[in-house]
Amino acid sequence: MDYLVVEHLTKQFQGHVAVHDLWLTMAQGEVLALLGPSGCGKSTTLQLVAGLLHPDAGAIYLEGRPMNHVPPERRDMALVLQRGLLFPHLTVGENVAFGLKMRGMNRVDRDKEAIAMLHRVQLQGFEHRRPSELSGGQAQRVALARSLVIGPKLLLLDEPLSALDANLREEMQDLILSLQAQTQVTMLIVTHDQAEATVMAQRIALMFDGQLRQVDAPERLYRYPCDEATARFMGGVNFFTVQAEQHQWHLPSGQHLTSSLAHQGPLRVTLRPEALRLYTDAAHLPDVPGNCLQGEAIANRFTGTQRRITVAIAPNLTLQVWGSPTQDIALGQSVWVYIPADALWGLPGEPCPPVAMPSPAVQS
Amino acid sequence: MITLPRYGLITGAIALLLLPFLPLLIWSVAQSWFFPQVLPDQWTMIHWRQIFSPSSRIGEGLLQSLAIALVTTSLSLVVGLPAGRALGTLDFPGKMALKLFLLMPIIVSPLATLMGIQYVLIRLGLSGTVLGVILVHLMPTIPYMTLVLSSVFANLDLGYELQARSLGGSPWQVLWTVTLPLIAPGVVVGSLFAFLISWNEFLLTFIIGGGRVFTLPMVLFTLLQGGNHGLVAAVAITSVIPGLVFLVFASRALQQDHALGGLGNV
Repeated sequence: MDYLVVEHLTKQFQGHVAVHDLWLTMAQGEVLALLGPSGCGKSTTLQLVAGLLHPDAGAIYLEGRPMNHVPPERRDMALVLQRGLLFPHLTVGENVAFGLKMRGMNRVDRDKEAIAMLHRVQLQGFEHRRPSELSGGQAQRVALARSLVIGPKLLLLDEPLSALDANLREEMQDLILSLQAQTQVTMLIVTHDQAEATVMAQRIALMFDGQLRQVDAPERLYRYPCDEATARFMGGVNFFTVQAEQHQWHLPSGQHLTSSLAHQGPLRVTLRPEALRLYTDAAHLPDVPGNCLQGEAIANRFTGTQRRITVAIAPNLTLQVWGSPTQDIALGQSVWVYIPADALWGLPGEPCPPVAMPSPAVQS
Repeated sequence: MITLPRYGLITGAIALLLLPFLPLLIWSVAQSWFFPQVLPDQWTMIHWRQIFSPSSRIGEGLLQSLAIALVTTSLSLVVGLPAGRALGTLDFPGKMALKLFLLMPIIVSPLATLMGIQYVLIRLGLSGTVLGVILVHLMPTIPYMTLVLSSVFANLDLGYELQARSLGGSPWQVLWTVTLPLIAPGVVVGSLFAFLISWNEFLLTFIIGGGRVFTLPMVLFTLLQGGNHGLVAAVAITSVIPGLVFLVFASRALQQDHALGGLGNV
């Protein structure tokens, strides 16, 4: 049985539809990321699940129990928000013990549990400090400890790391994941950062304009996006249209590509930029089935970990290749782009079935 | 030392504020003090003794003032907390008009409205009663309290309450353990206003109380007509004390470092 079930969830704010007919399930112990651009309704969804907002329609079940009329304090869900929201009038220890106090646990026991929990988020000895004395990262650790100490059935994280700088964010991702592994808590993370969703979640639910677009494992979302918007949100940069004749996909420029997928008729195609390889010498092209397109390097961006080179293939076709940072290419240089046959993905063009795992619309 | 000029300034300000009380203080312990004497030649404690003697009714006035001010403050809080929250956190049509309406009792002089109020209170049988006086004291205190608390609530991050709810706090638990501690500075300031307005109120008490509700300002007024400078001075000093005590108490509450939530543009 599914642990968390969200059915037909709908919420409007003064005529504006924030969440529209959302269906979602989660297994116990799963980490799911609700991903989408700001204003897509993902935070609203989280607040609906937490019970801080009331849905206009739809139902939420946790362990088979309907949650619609359960007030937030009795849902056994704990929330961590971007702002941390540590109670400024309480010490760090009192903050962590807050949920236990609300549950009527006596002072000695809850202090003991709070100190143990602070130890697990690597903040031993912080219990007498004031929240105002903490750094941003420390405050988020306390917020995390405060939520985990009550042993929630569902941990809800709303952009928990957005306010932190990049290095700290990775450290916190590791900490959250290791705590999740220890406690096996079911975790729903809201984020607008596809990299964060990819690192943290077992499945990503991508949301646009209040509607789920695709729910899938991160890798599948990267490789098999259901439409162009999904692909673009997941960092896709290469899009073009082909006329497909089974495995032969014809470009408007007259060249053709061989794909491992078969299709008939016009097709919108995407290529992951990191799946492509760049060769400066035709003699060194790999001796494997695939496609090579010749072009001219027109842009070269160094990101530190990658080099992003844009190659003009035809008047209406440029491809971006993400390669090794050491492969430097001069602008105007003639290059060959190698496209593996299985890197070509035809976009189905319609939202994938939201609850079930989407099957690729184009079969090989 | 950088702090020295600052201390000098503060000392100067305190001296300036306290200087007018000096003649009062001397009057209150002087047997007689006439021009051109710099200081009285005979000292006495008779005025202070008189304050605490039951026959003077001053003690009675003090207690009645205190009781009326405390009840008025409490009732203003009961109305002001929910009203201030609604004004500070919700957006609804006519909000500005409602705020202006709230200010009406402060803008319009009580002289203009007192006759009508007196008429209503007489018909209700409340004229000349403590309850009637408390009711008219609420007229200026509720607007002050509500406006102070509305700006406090406008600065309060309601996320704290949602966070507390999600951690298992019932609405009442959240109110006591989170909301009230966070808005405590605003509650203290609002209460200080309400208490002092009620404590110093003369006109409303005079008309509605009809001489039967005998608060400290009434005592002072009666004594002023009597012309006993020494006693007037002693009572005047007494009437300032609760305000000062409240102020010291309030400033200590405001200085606590967790007094966030802010006072905003109080």
